[in-house]
Amino acid sequence: MLDLWRKIRRTGRVAEPAPPMPTGEPPSVTAVLAGSVQLRHVDAGSCNGCEVEIASAFGPVYDAERYGARLVASPRHADALLVTGPVTRNMAEPLRRTHEAVPNPKLVVAVGDCARNCGTFAGAYGVIGAVRDVVPVDLEIAGCPPRPEAIVEGVRKLTGR
Amino acid sequence: MSVAAVALGAAGVLAVLSSLAAIVLSAPLRPAAVGMGTALTGLAGAVSGVDAVLGGSMSVALPGVLPLAGVSLALDPLGGLFIAVTGGVALAAGIYGISYSRSHGANGRGVQAVFPLFVLAMLLVPAASSVGTFLVCWELMALTSLLLVVAEHRRGPEVARAGRWYVVMTHLGFVAVLIGLLVFAARAGDDSFRAMREVGRHLSPGLAGLVFVVTSVGFASKAGILPLHAWLPRAHPEAPSHVSALMSAAMVNLGVYGIVRVGLDLLGSGAGAGAGWWWSLVLGLGAVSAVYGILQAAMDTDLKRLLGQSTTENMGLVLVGVGAAGLFATSGNRVLAGLALAAALLHVVNHAAFKTLLFLAAGSVLRATGTRDLDALGGLRSGMPWTTGAFGLGALAASALPPGTAFVSEWLLLQALIHGLPTAGGSGGTTAAIAMPLAVAAVALTAGLAVATFVKAFGIGFLAKPRSAGAEHARESPPGMLAGMGVAGVACVVLAVLPTVVLSGVEAAAGAAVGGAEAVSGALTVRLVGVTGELSPLMLTLALLAALVMVVGAVRVVAARRTARTARLWDCGGGPMSARMEYTATSFAEPLQRVFDDVLRPEQDVDVTHHEESRYLVRAVEYRRKVPDRIERRLYEPVLAAVATWGRAGRRLATGSVHRYLGYGFYTVCSLLILLAVTR
Repeated sequence: MLDLWRKIRRTGRVAEPAPPMPTGEPPSVTAVLAGSVQLRHVDAGSCNGCEVEIASAFGPVYDAERYGARLVASPRHADALLVTGPVTRNMAEPLRRTHEAVPNPKLVVAVGDCARNCGTFAGAYGVIGAVRDVVPVDLEIAGCPPRPEAIVEGVRKLTGR
Repeated sequence: MSVAAVALGAAGVLAVLSSLAAIVLSAPLRPAAVGMGTALTGLAGAVSGVDAVLGGSMSVALPGVLPLAGVSLALDPLGGLFIAVTGGVALAAGIYGISYSRSHGANGRGVQAVFPLFVLAMLLVPAASSVGTFLVCWELMALTSLLLVVAEHRRGPEVARAGRWYVVMTHLGFVAVLIGLLVFAARAGDDSFRAMREVGRHLSPGLAGLVFVVTSVGFASKAGILPLHAWLPRAHPEAPSHVSALMSAAMVNLGVYGIVRVGLDLLGSGAGAGAGWWWSLVLGLGAVSAVYGILQAAMDTDLKRLLGQSTTENMGLVLVGVGAAGLFATSGNRVLAGLALAAALLHVVNHAAFKTLLFLAAGSVLRATGTRDLDALGGLRSGMPWTTGAFGLGALAASALPPGTAFVSEWLLLQALIHGLPTAGGSGGTTAAIAMPLAVAAVALTAGLAVATFVKAFGIGFLAKPRSAGAEHARESPPGMLAGMGVAGVACVVLAVLPTVVLSGVEAAAGAAVGGAEAVSGALTVRLVGVTGELSPLMLTLALLAALVMVVGAVRVVAARRTARTARLWDCGGGPMSARMEYTATSFAEPLQRVFDDVLRPEQDVDVTHHEESRYLVRAVEYRRKVPDRIERRLYEPVLAAVATWGRAGRRLATGSVHRYLGYGFYTVCSLLILLAVTR
């Protein structure tokens, strides 16, 4: 226990300084969410590259939580879905149900090129399409995989902070 | 002739008549005749017991009925209480049995004829007033119950095995009771309880201690107290359910009756004679049984076995009260002795009510689904609403939470134990000072584990989705069985809300044993006399109901203001949810099993089968887990193995040769003659 405290004290703060506020029009519900957005991550068929980057974005260095975003464990607790990967046959229905389970008002963020346009998996036999073919998408974050900075930038558009 | 005597006589006549009816009548008429007869026997017994508790005494001597000693019966408040409890249980079980035995294969001529006799034997045990009568009734009770335990022997070998365990243990217990009482009666010079009571308090401490310990061993084996409990979780579940109810709610009580009658009454501990260590022993065994019994029940997945284990627990709690009463009485504290014994006897009454209800409900489940395995039940709420309600009520009554039935008696018991501490300064003070806090802890732990056990039994067994086809297609039991459950259910509710109805009777019974003054008073509120403390179960229940209504109302009001959205139940997007995703009884008990790992010593076995091509590919994984009864492993198995070894050694003496056997006889006679010639 003492070792842990010592380690915390020695390490200090590793978060990078906050970049400037992203420009561009935020989705209309941002005002309703009032700077606090609970996110539920759904892997619709990703190669897990985006997952690594999301984990990094919410890690101590990029620290997306300081902008008011938080990853939660159930769509019932969430304001927005963070969907990664092309939508596979097996995940299409669960994704639809997850979207239904989120209370209104709800947002969907498609993270990564696969989620936007199936990326390198386009036309594969198990893929039925991009995220927008299954549920309405409000925000897209490009990259294969997107850098943590890009994810943080996208999340900040939702929280407005 | 008092009411008690007439009613007891009527019970005897009714029982014999219904037994004869069972033999004479044809199979379709038999259940109704026997069931009604037994219910009326029970009713008459209950009337007789209640009248005896309220002061109606009786003393009958029938010298010609049995050879040598004859039969002598007498009623006093202590015996009356147990007669009333037995009668009440028989009333519910008799009504229930009409429909149950018609549909459940327990309608044989022999079984039906024995059933009323079993009730009669149990009614007569507390009424016996001489050693001869007592032992005859005791043995009649043991034999009739044995026949009922093996009633469904066609179902499988486990019924016969349970019967063997039961017959051996109950007869070893009988031998212990026989030896103790005969030694006592020989010293008294007469086998009537009155003569023994005169002599009891003047016995030498060694002899009195011997009589107490030997009889208590016998009685404890009947009550399912550790370490003589092994028969109970075997025999009670295998019997037909209304017989289980009678055994578990009425017969085990008579073990307690025996200890109270011999220890407190005949040996005079209630009047201050006897030694404190007797009662420390009773208290200790009671506390250990309570904790161990409920722990085994919490692990068990067989519904009726679980209820049997819980009987060990409740009898343990009763013996904690009896032991405390004995400790207080021998150190001269009459008020607390009366309170502790009243708590114990009230728990006997309460336990009889809720255990009857639970066993009858379990029988209803068994009849509808064909299984007792909790892991194959569930979802009975829609198919069997009344049975579910009955079991839920019983489960609430069995857990020591308000407004449960057991709560009142366990509260009284805790009050007696807690107030025993400051007054422990008298003789035997150190023992009491150590024993009381430990007993309080044991009672509290038992109460907690009992809640977990009954949440498991009710939640897994009745709620959620059905886990097997049998549970899915379960249909409600016929009205006769529901009526039997209804009788027990009403008793549970009355005992929970208005325990004062029976408290005066319980106190009279306790007063007969320890000679104390009134320990509890009040019409609606239970007020302790002599020590501070009061409880109003009625107000408590009303307050809880009011709080419940308010919470539900507040939720409704808040919900009405918000716009509702119908959405699919969140099942992680997979769905549909199946019964295999549910908690099972085993997984529910798993955290408790981990906590009590050192006590329970569960046995686990994982077998991994690999593919032939590669050790990295797994074909099948087999997992087995068993929580064996550790006392059985450590105590019974070595003894049984030793007996088997002696048996094999003895086989060498008996080779089958007639000449050899004649030789044995000849040499035995010769050596006896030589012995007599030398010693004379």
